[in-house]
Amino acid sequence: MNANIRRVGLLMIVLMLILAAQLTYLQVLDAGRLANDPRNSRTFLRDFTGPRGAIIDAAGKVLAHTVPSDDEYGRQRKYPLGDLFSQTVGYQSIVVGSVGIEKEYNDVLSGHDLKSVKIDNLGELLLDKEHTANVILSMRADAQQLAKDTLRGQKGSVVVLEPATGAIVAMYSTPSFDPQPLAAHNPREVQVYFDLLNADPSNPALPRAYRERYPPGSTFKIVTTAAALDTGIATPETDFPSVKSFTPPQAGRPIENFGGRSCGGDLESVFVQSCNSAFALLGVQLGELFPPQMRGFGIFEAPSIDLNPGAVVSLGPPEGSFSTNKPSFALAGIGQGEVATTPLQMALVASGVANGGLIMTPHVAAEVRDGDGRILRTIKPKPWKQAMPVATAMTIRDYMVQVVARGTGTAARISGVAVAGKTGTAQSCETCDPHAWFVAFAPAEAPRYAIAVLVENGGSSGDEATGGRVAAPIAAKMLRFLLGL
Amino acid sequence: MSVNRSALGQRRRGHELKLGALALVIVAAGHVLLALSESPAFPRDLWAFLGAILALFVIAHLAVRRLAPRADPTLLPLAALLLGIGYITISRLDVAAGAADRVGPTQALWAAVGVVAFVTTLVLLPTVRALARYRYSFLMLGVIALLLPLVPGLGREINGALLWVRIGPLTVQPGEAAKVLLVVFFAAYLVDKRELLSAGSRRIGRVYLPDPKHLGPLLLPWAASILIMVQQKDLGSSLLFFVAFLAMLYIATGRYGYVVIGTGLFATAAIVAYKTFGHVQSRIDIWINPWQDLQDTGYQLTQSLFAFGSGGFAGTGLGLGRPDVIPVATTDFIFAAIGEELGLLGTIAVLIGFMLLVGSAFRISLQAQRPFLKLFGAGLATILGMQTFVIIGGVTRVIPLTGVTLPFVSYGGSSLVSNFVILALLLRISDESATEAEDDAATEEARRAIESAHA
Repeated sequence: MNANIRRVGLLMIVLMLILAAQLTYLQVLDAGRLANDPRNSRTFLRDFTGPRGAIIDAAGKVLAHTVPSDDEYGRQRKYPLGDLFSQTVGYQSIVVGSVGIEKEYNDVLSGHDLKSVKIDNLGELLLDKEHTANVILSMRADAQQLAKDTLRGQKGSVVVLEPATGAIVAMYSTPSFDPQPLAAHNPREVQVYFDLLNADPSNPALPRAYRERYPPGSTFKIVTTAAALDTGIATPETDFPSVKSFTPPQAGRPIENFGGRSCGGDLESVFVQSCNSAFALLGVQLGELFPPQMRGFGIFEAPSIDLNPGAVVSLGPPEGSFSTNKPSFALAGIGQGEVATTPLQMALVASGVANGGLIMTPHVAAEVRDGDGRILRTIKPKPWKQAMPVATAMTIRDYMVQVVARGTGTAARISGVAVAGKTGTAQSCETCDPHAWFVAFAPAEAPRYAIAVLVENGGSSGDEATGGRVAAPIAAKMLRFLLGL
Repeated sequence: MSVNRSALGQRRRGHELKLGALALVIVAAGHVLLALSESPAFPRDLWAFLGAILALFVIAHLAVRRLAPRADPTLLPLAALLLGIGYITISRLDVAAGAADRVGPTQALWAAVGVVAFVTTLVLLPTVRALARYRYSFLMLGVIALLLPLVPGLGREINGALLWVRIGPLTVQPGEAAKVLLVVFFAAYLVDKRELLSAGSRRIGRVYLPDPKHLGPLLLPWAASILIMVQQKDLGSSLLFFVAFLAMLYIATGRYGYVVIGTGLFATAAIVAYKTFGHVQSRIDIWINPWQDLQDTGYQLTQSLFAFGSGGFAGTGLGLGRPDVIPVATTDFIFAAIGEELGLLGTIAVLIGFMLLVGSAFRISLQAQRPFLKLFGAGLATILGMQTFVIIGGVTRVIPLTGVTLPFVSYGGSSLVSNFVILALLLRISDESATEAEDDAATEEARRAIESAHA
């Protein structure tokens, strides 16, 4: 009998070894996949019941933090500034998920990213210390507040960034919303609020500044000018005939100048007057050379930004379409037709001119710090696009200074500081009022801030609106405040 | 009593005490770690806890010292270790549970009842041999225990299986008792019919088949397994019974023919059950693809797999994971909770604990001289081994998931008490065999002494 008993015993051992093999598979080979599976509720529970770092603005103001609660989760996320940062900081919601900084920097906020949150000694394990990190933004709550105040409830966006680093200082759009109800723990209430937000025809949940595209109108003439100079299609001396309109090939309808006036002259002159006929002509002359030049500014490619979801891509007439669609290239020359850009993208265009042609990668976070204030990670400036040579940038800067000094953008003048800017008044459809745009940077000789302002459909000015009248004053207020004047 | 002071007995009890102390140190360390995960202070009840586990172990140890002094020294410490790891895991799950759902204190109470059952078994059963005499009574008791949950008004269905019987404030699982009762019967029956079942075969091809008239004893356990599977929806116990019986039949006869036929019978029944019964089918489907209906039918198994994966190699550490999201974590899925917080290191350690426990049980069976003791010991060892395999295999997706407890580790009174009785029976077999061997050796020595004196 003993031989038989040994065989049965051996069978039992073999069965146990099979279990050991499967355990090794589950806990080592397949462990990463199982642990990070989005359906594994541990990820979710860690994020909602565990400690979580704060999100803080450049001046130390708390934008999001976690406080104790007496419900099953034990903690509640708070957004003390309400609608000022809902489009960038975002929210952390059990019901509808997380967005913005809350999502993008979740690993450091929750302390899950152990590479960035160091445990210095064993003693810390025994203290009641929370190993999470705070995210410090380059954004400023006071600038956000001013953007909100100057927009005065008109639908629109304000984006301010530092040309040299790509650090975003302000990025706000109207309408916005209070993120606090989305962070509530009652699934029903959250869902009702979320559905209401999405049903609102003004679409407050949409971060227009980086997730909506608009025709940029004449602000896009910066790109057209740079393209024309860089490809040799035009020089500063090129003389444009004084005409009332330009009719592109393949199209019956002429592209008219603003107010039906005649304009022309050298490149600076047509730029400062924002002369449509000249730039429509350049668009056609550029032809197939135009899209690659746009690509140099980041059109056709969503700028990488540390937000989740990120920025949407800006568009222009596709490469290879010139021969069949010449009018679209004429319209592209004046920022109409197939050209559609985000306010963020236009701020980046301005920052490219300000920064000698180099567009830096935009970012909203500046640093990650631990609870004791030690820096764990610095978000370093990173070049994104070399949009144009330095010489071209200098030329366009001078043109933009003239726009504010004596052209369409005089409303953006700041005493004592040279402001470089470009207005835009963009048709969005046949019957609606035009979008008012203004992009600028200041001080022109040593730029600290680049800005894009968009007021949708003219805002309260309606069909009277132009970029110069509606958007330029907002940009001036922002710049004056930020420059401390 | 000179018998109690045998050198073998002294040595074995000494080992048992040392191994037991090691097990207690590990369990106490777990208790401290768990408390530290909650607050940076040593647990206030540390001395009470130490006192309690020490008292339980010492009582069991003294009982063995007195009542089965020559018994195997590894079983009791291994059981103490597994029970302790189980208790730590259960009290860890209690931390996250609401006050009404805490089961740790109940489990501690059941551990004490288990030790009482352990001692009582040793006291009431001076020799295991005696059991063979009452084989048919055990058969009857076993069958009644199996059928009890089917009695209307008495049975209670929990988690989809009809295994429980309500007696006053307690719900007990008579199937746990049936396990032991039926193994006693099988062992005694097979020892009787061994010769008969081994001989008189007909040959088909290369396989020797037993005479058809001897297939009768195969059919009874087969029918019992089917009954459990169909009526009580308990696939795990069904598999357990059948494999244990088949293993004993093979050990008794050494004939693969029985194994082949038995496996065939069981497979046929399983296939018919799969085609006929929804619950069997759904278990198999979940096993094949637990991910397709993750929120509903596949929920339990996928949560278990997530727990193992989240634990990884070293585990999250006691009190630092989220084993509370695993369904029925204190009973069926306790191994997943261990896997999450103690990692592969912990699960393999527990698995080795079971290998040693089951291995020791087989060694006891090997060292026994009497066929009944051999078969009985091997049957108990198989039950322990198979139960471990069925539940760990179930929660790790090696085999379809069926709810049985992990011996000594899972929460549950019936299971704990019956496992302590199994433990006592194994120790009794071990002691009985060692005593007989010692007596034989003494007799032999005396004979030689006399012979040499004569020479």
